Amino acid sequence: MLNVLMIGVGQCGNRILDAINKEAFGGSTRLSKYYSRQKFPSRVETLAINTAMNDLKELRFTSANDRFHVPNLHGVGANRSVGKQGFWNNQDMIMDEIGKRGDFDIAFMISSASGGTGSSFSPLLIHELKNQYKNISVIGIMVLPFREEGSIYLQNAAFSMRDMMEVETDGLILVDNQYLKRMGGDIATAYDKINNMVAQRILFLIEALDSEMLSVTDLGDFKTVMRGGTGMGTMGFYQADKKTPSLASAIDNSLKPSTLLYPSNVYEEAARAMIIIQGSKKYLDVDVITTVVEKLSSDIGHVFKGIVVKKGLPKVLSVFTLEQAPELEQMYALAAQAIQEEKNRKNRAKKQLDDAFAYIEDLEEIH
Amino acid sequence: MRLIYLALLVLLIAPVMADSDDDDDETTSREFTLKVDEGVKIGDYRMELINVVSVMDGLIEVKVWKRVSEFEDWRVMEEHRDSNFDEGADRGGLTLTVIEIFDDESVRMRAEYRDDYGYPRKYTTERGLAPKNLPELTVEKKFDRTDISVNDEVKVTITVKNVGNDTARNVLIFETPPLSQFRYLAGYPPKIKSQLAPEESDFAVYSMVAVTEGEVPVPALVVSYTDAKGNIASVSSSSFTINIKPRRKPNLDLIVEPVPPIEHGGTGVINVTVLNKGEASAYRVEIKGETTPADGGIEVTEDNLGKTYFEIAPGASKNYSATVKGSRSGNYTATIKANYQSDEVIMQKEVSFEIIVLERPYKYLYFVLVLPVLLVAFWIFRRYKEYKY
Repeated sequence: MLNVLMIGVGQCGNRILDAINKEAFGGSTRLSKYYSRQKFPSRVETLAINTAMNDLKELRFTSANDRFHVPNLHGVGANRSVGKQGFWNNQDMIMDEIGKRGDFDIAFMISSASGGTGSSFSPLLIHELKNQYKNISVIGIMVLPFREEGSIYLQNAAFSMRDMMEVETDGLILVDNQYLKRMGGDIATAYDKINNMVAQRILFLIEALDSEMLSVTDLGDFKTVMRGGTGMGTMGFYQADKKTPSLASAIDNSLKPSTLLYPSNVYEEAARAMIIIQGSKKYLDVDVITTVVEKLSSDIGHVFKGIVVKKGLPKVLSVFTLEQAPELEQMYALAAQAIQEEKNRKNRAKKQLDDAFAYIEDLEEIH
Repeated sequence: MRLIYLALLVLLIAPVMADSDDDDDETTSREFTLKVDEGVKIGDYRMELINVVSVMDGLIEVKVWKRVSEFEDWRVMEEHRDSNFDEGADRGGLTLTVIEIFDDESVRMRAEYRDDYGYPRKYTTERGLAPKNLPELTVEKKFDRTDISVNDEVKVTITVKNVGNDTARNVLIFETPPLSQFRYLAGYPPKIKSQLAPEESDFAVYSMVAVTEGEVPVPALVVSYTDAKGNIASVSSSSFTINIKPRRKPNLDLIVEPVPPIEHGGTGVINVTVLNKGEASAYRVEIKGETTPADGGIEVTEDNLGKTYFEIAPGASKNYSATVKGSRSGNYTATIKANYQSDEVIMQKEVSFEIIVLERPYKYLYFVLVLPVLLVAFWIFRRYKEYKY
């Protein structure tokens, strides 16, 4: 059985973690936590870390014991420097809180790339986890911001992602809010949908890695996939319906951009992939699966396949890493532009302030 | 001429006068019936029947006398023979003839007398009006009860009293045949004194037992007696009808007061009343009781459901009680049977009633309802606290 640690840091990370806890209750209602128990496929420990108390309070499905407030802080105001200092000041306390939860094989670090707490804590926390748990694999799940959210967020995303890669994260799974904005609806609904999508896919992945399979994919395979290409990847998911229960169609759909968490052309940009198929035995035609995977391998490279026999219509989860990320490059360009504009604005403001102060340069206060 | 006419008138009147003398001498006869001490008035003559001397011999004694004269004649007359009194009818007297002697008291006679004496008129003589020295009996037959059932003993009392002024002799009771609806026990046939002085009474009692139900006509009882002269007389009681009802039976009623539900492990009292609603005593009353199912769930702890009585008279009742203990809840049936006898006939009465032993009370049973609610509330609260930050 896998020992899994899920840490949600910052408001975004907390909310996705809460969605995972909600999904684990198997309930679709807000009351499910009162009558149901969480059914994680493995031993899963969750921990929500935040510097803002209010962000922790709004969680509904994460137990109070699994919420950790970094003392003496009321948010970091999207300032990664303040955030980092806050982490260093409370590092022992945070690591003790994690240490109480035992040993782990894999950790998922869920945070926003653009926020204050999440973007600043995550790289440092991953580094400490790597130091504390020698054999642990840490996968970052980073949520990219709406591009129009502001220059600070873009700047934070750019630097935090670089930090993440520098601390030897075993892989980054990207979730692009900008891309998922297409689902429509108001912002709150969109956030909820994104969070639920991520939660569903993460739990599916954990279940697949810890199940007896017809065709085995394990943690090692997953780590191999995540180390491919840039080390950044994303996930696709598709569930067949009764009208079109075709397995080949389901696999194909799970790779389409519309089902991905990050905009990508799998067949051209992916480096390594893992396809996990779950469903009733009557739907799981190994020949069909093999044919589809072989075709995918010819386009991508190496593709791991896992087949889980479980009652129900076919569900397909595709995890892959990218060797090209044009969207990411574009975002960095925007970030650079935003940083420059921010710098210019700051200079203009400083100059205007200096000019204003010049008027009283030779004067003194008279009372 | 006048003399001639006078002579002719005398000649004419003389025969007429001679004829009128002849008419005065004409007689007539009348028949009548007389009893002893009765008489008839014929003109100034009185004739009284003193006595019937002998019916067999056809002799009677009469007294004939004439009012406002010295004539009086006592004479024994012989039947069918004319007797002239005061020179007979032809000479203005009476000629009497006994036509028939009916009995010792009455005769039929014929009187011949002058036509102008008119019709004979009867009267009662002073001797007839005077009380006679004769015995006269009354008889009464009486049952001591009117409500008679088969097997009932009845006493019959026959009372004979002499209400006359002379001794009744040779008094005999004739009561035959015996009534077939009764079995005679003692005193039958009834006998009383053979002589009863005036105002004296005697009675005879006999007893009998009714054996057949139905209406029984009781015939009149005849008592015969003779007076001093040996005359035989008889008197009868009145006849009547009695109704013999079917045999009287005892009818025991077992009355059990409703037993309130007995608490688990508690006791209850069963009060039984044995009432004889019948018309006869119940003998050798033996009462037995039992409870079902006999699984030991209920047991008699004090006294007993059974009882024995030698006799319970009609209308009488006996009471007894028994204490039962309920050790297992359930519905039990108690049955009480009474066997009793009457006239060698064995009868039975039975009554059943329910005894309920209540379930063991669980005083805190409501916790069974409240506890889940509390547990759920506690669970929800715990979950709330668990997820409240």
